[in-house]
Amino acid sequence: MELVIALGMNGIVWGLIIALIALGLSIIFGLLDIINIAHGDFFMVGTVLAWFVFDTTGNYWLAFAIVPILGFAIGAVIEYTVIQPIKNAAALSIVATFGLSIILQESVRATFGATPARLTAPIEETVPLFGLEYEVYRLFAALLSIAAIGCFFLFLHRTKLGTWMRAVRFDPETATAMGIPARRVYMVTFAIGFAMASLGGVVAGPITTVDFQAGVDILPFCFMAVIIGGLGNLEGTVAAAVMLAFFEGVMASFVDPTLARIGSLCLMSAVLLVRPHGIFSGSTR
Amino acid sequence: MTATPILEIDGIEKHFGGLAALGGVHATVDSGKLTAVIGPNGAGKTTLFNVVTGILTPSAGSIRFMGKDITDCSVHEISRLGLARTLQIKSVFHGMTVRENLWIAAQSRRGVFRPFTGLKACRAANERADALLEELQLTHLAGQEAANLSYGDVALLEIGIALATEPKLLLLDEPICGMGPAETERTVEKIRELSKRIDIVIIEHDIEVVFDISDDIIVMALGTVLARGTPAEISENADVRAAYLGDDDA
Amino acid sequence: MTAAAINRLGFVVVALLTLTAPWFLPLLVDSFWVDIYAEMLIWSLLAASVNLLFGYVGLLSFGQALFFGMGMYGVAIGVAKLGLGFWPAFGLGVVMATAMALVAGALAVRLTWHYFAIITVVFSLIFYFAALSWKPLTGGDDGLSFTMPPIVSIGEWELSLTDPTVQYYFIIAIVGICYALMGVILKSPLGSAFRAVKENDHRAALIGLNVYLIRLTAFVIAGFIAGVAGALFAFFGRYASASYMFYHVSGEAVVWAIIGGAGTLLGPIVGTSLLIILREELSHAWEHYLILVGVIVILVVIFAPKGLGGLWQALVRRIARPETPPPSTDAKGEDKP
Repeated sequence: MELVIALGMNGIVWGLIIALIALGLSIIFGLLDIINIAHGDFFMVGTVLAWFVFDTTGNYWLAFAIVPILGFAIGAVIEYTVIQPIKNAAALSIVATFGLSIILQESVRATFGATPARLTAPIEETVPLFGLEYEVYRLFAALLSIAAIGCFFLFLHRTKLGTWMRAVRFDPETATAMGIPARRVYMVTFAIGFAMASLGGVVAGPITTVDFQAGVDILPFCFMAVIIGGLGNLEGTVAAAVMLAFFEGVMASFVDPTLARIGSLCLMSAVLLVRPHGIFSGSTR
Repeated sequence: MTATPILEIDGIEKHFGGLAALGGVHATVDSGKLTAVIGPNGAGKTTLFNVVTGILTPSAGSIRFMGKDITDCSVHEISRLGLARTLQIKSVFHGMTVRENLWIAAQSRRGVFRPFTGLKACRAANERADALLEELQLTHLAGQEAANLSYGDVALLEIGIALATEPKLLLLDEPICGMGPAETERTVEKIRELSKRIDIVIIEHDIEVVFDISDDIIVMALGTVLARGTPAEISENADVRAAYLGDDDA
Repeated sequence: MTAAAINRLGFVVVALLTLTAPWFLPLLVDSFWVDIYAEMLIWSLLAASVNLLFGYVGLLSFGQALFFGMGMYGVAIGVAKLGLGFWPAFGLGVVMATAMALVAGALAVRLTWHYFAIITVVFSLIFYFAALSWKPLTGGDDGLSFTMPPIVSIGEWELSLTDPTVQYYFIIAIVGICYALMGVILKSPLGSAFRAVKENDHRAALIGLNVYLIRLTAFVIAGFIAGVAGALFAFFGRYASASYMFYHVSGEAVVWAIIGGAGTLLGPIVGTSLLIILREELSHAWEHYLILVGVIVILVVIFAPKGLGGLWQALVRRIARPETPPPSTDAKGEDKP
């Protein structure tokens, strides 16, 4: 029973981190119509940057501030050099971001190396929770993810830039005609997507391993959250990510993790086939 | 009336969420006539066409085509029974040549699941495509991709695609909408000529054209049939005048 | 010359070079290039299966590695576990891949575009993880190797892929048959129906085409082609491994197909060859050559969005004499019915 609780809670924590990453994927998908194969690598780059920050300064907390900013900058540069030239061609975006994914992975392998590394959490205490000693850092990770997701929704609904993003997504032509600088909005969106994924990397760093291939494993999971939540339904993405990870966590306490993964994939196919527009499609257009 | 109905629409309802786009449509289309469906925007004309051709499933009611119940048939099954249609927003195969557009429509009748047959061996479809190119005077554009055609030619090609499937009944959704005077005249002539061989139902906003070419008019408003009759009867009908013609003539 | 004649000439040249490669390649470069060329042709079939779906029917499958893996495991399990001979094992691999495509396709082609791409990934991941965890049968991560059974043996004499020349010609024969098969199908009414569905599926249904069945047929044919590729690859490496079923392999096939030029029959060979040659050449020069591969992929997408096949066609069109007088903008010799 304790194992079920522990893995279930781990699932929720992991789901919240995934939600943070998947939200970035979702806005890039929804606003730019880019199927971003490199999104998992954005996350991976986040963990690696966090590792470098810790390695040079010895202070992991700094990474929470520095890495998202670096991620934002890298994202903006990538958008300008790779994404803008292939605008409006979703199939090409898959190939281009695949190339991007190769570049990011190989660059990390060249600099950081091919051996996975472990980061120690900046908080090493545990607290008693539901009859077990639970790591405080995981609770912190969950809270930070929730806070970041909350900030993102506030940004989207309360700022001018956020309103522009929603407007451009809804109808790019009208938005441009109204004087919204669509190109800049695209760039900022992509950069925010990268920043969120890299923040996810910093948060997840001490929980998972720092590995140049980490993005490959996480990518299908993010896409599942986006699709099950309903394309373009950001709240749905968050809910789907948490539910999927919780489901997989609980499953993993009964069967081996690979079978749990197969279970969640089967659940995912069933959802896709029965409700292709997401489980929350009642609330969207 | 002695004419036999080719299409019988019986109590068709269509709801989108809580909204009733069609609220119990009863209508018949008689064989040997050109029937027009008119009505203000939002009257449910295109929705009715979508239900008849199987694109939408009706919430209630039934449809019979040549005596056969087609309510639950899929789009391609209905097409195969001999019901062809053009769309309000012209819909052709843009990346294919004009001839290929007509050819695939003609071959569709004869079966496409022939992976080892050469195209030259499909003689019937070749003849049909060439005959249609000639009939529609599109021969000089045969090798052009449909994407390069003018708007009027695309509209004509779409009618050609419909004809290539050898329909018994042809539904035309605003065939002359957006055309200049010369193109309009060419298309109207074509429709008039076709109506001698095929039964046609046409949705059209141009009242002059409607009264000119149709034998029968169905007036729709708010998802139901308001009136039905010959052009003369319709122009006399007080309800229609009030609900529709009156506003539009102004 | 007309565009069609130039294309035909190019095809004949490539075919002749392919047939004589075991003789002339060792004269020019190291002889292992013969093997690499054979490997390229096998992988190009996987890209061709992506191209058949994406370039001709408009379905972007990100799960073709599943059928590749089925073909591969059919052969390996057939030989290593069931003790089958060469042809029965080959048959088992191809039948398993095709049957899997039928089942997966019956569900997947109900969806289109993004959703279709995602569900094909999901299906392939399910079986990837299944293959990983079902170690007794598949060998999991380590893979499953086997000793090569002979193709035919009559008394003392036997023909086997252990002879490199036999292996090379066997591979190009099978690959050639697959391309010929696709060529014939694409020039049949079924091929026209594929393109009609790709261009405009609503209109296709309105002219009486059963869009679902046409998509499913294409999916099964593509699964068959990918299965043949997987079976060949198992024979080529005497080995099968779950890692070839991972979605990254499917992704590479998509990249090869699009770089080569989606919607051209031989584009996949071009794209696959280019990227494998890059891999072989650059990997000696620089350990992190993949960075360059990524850059090249992006550059091709930006500057030649129709792929190398598209570049070739544009080039041919420029030097060719037009076939019919007017068509001003576009005169694709190849695509004439």
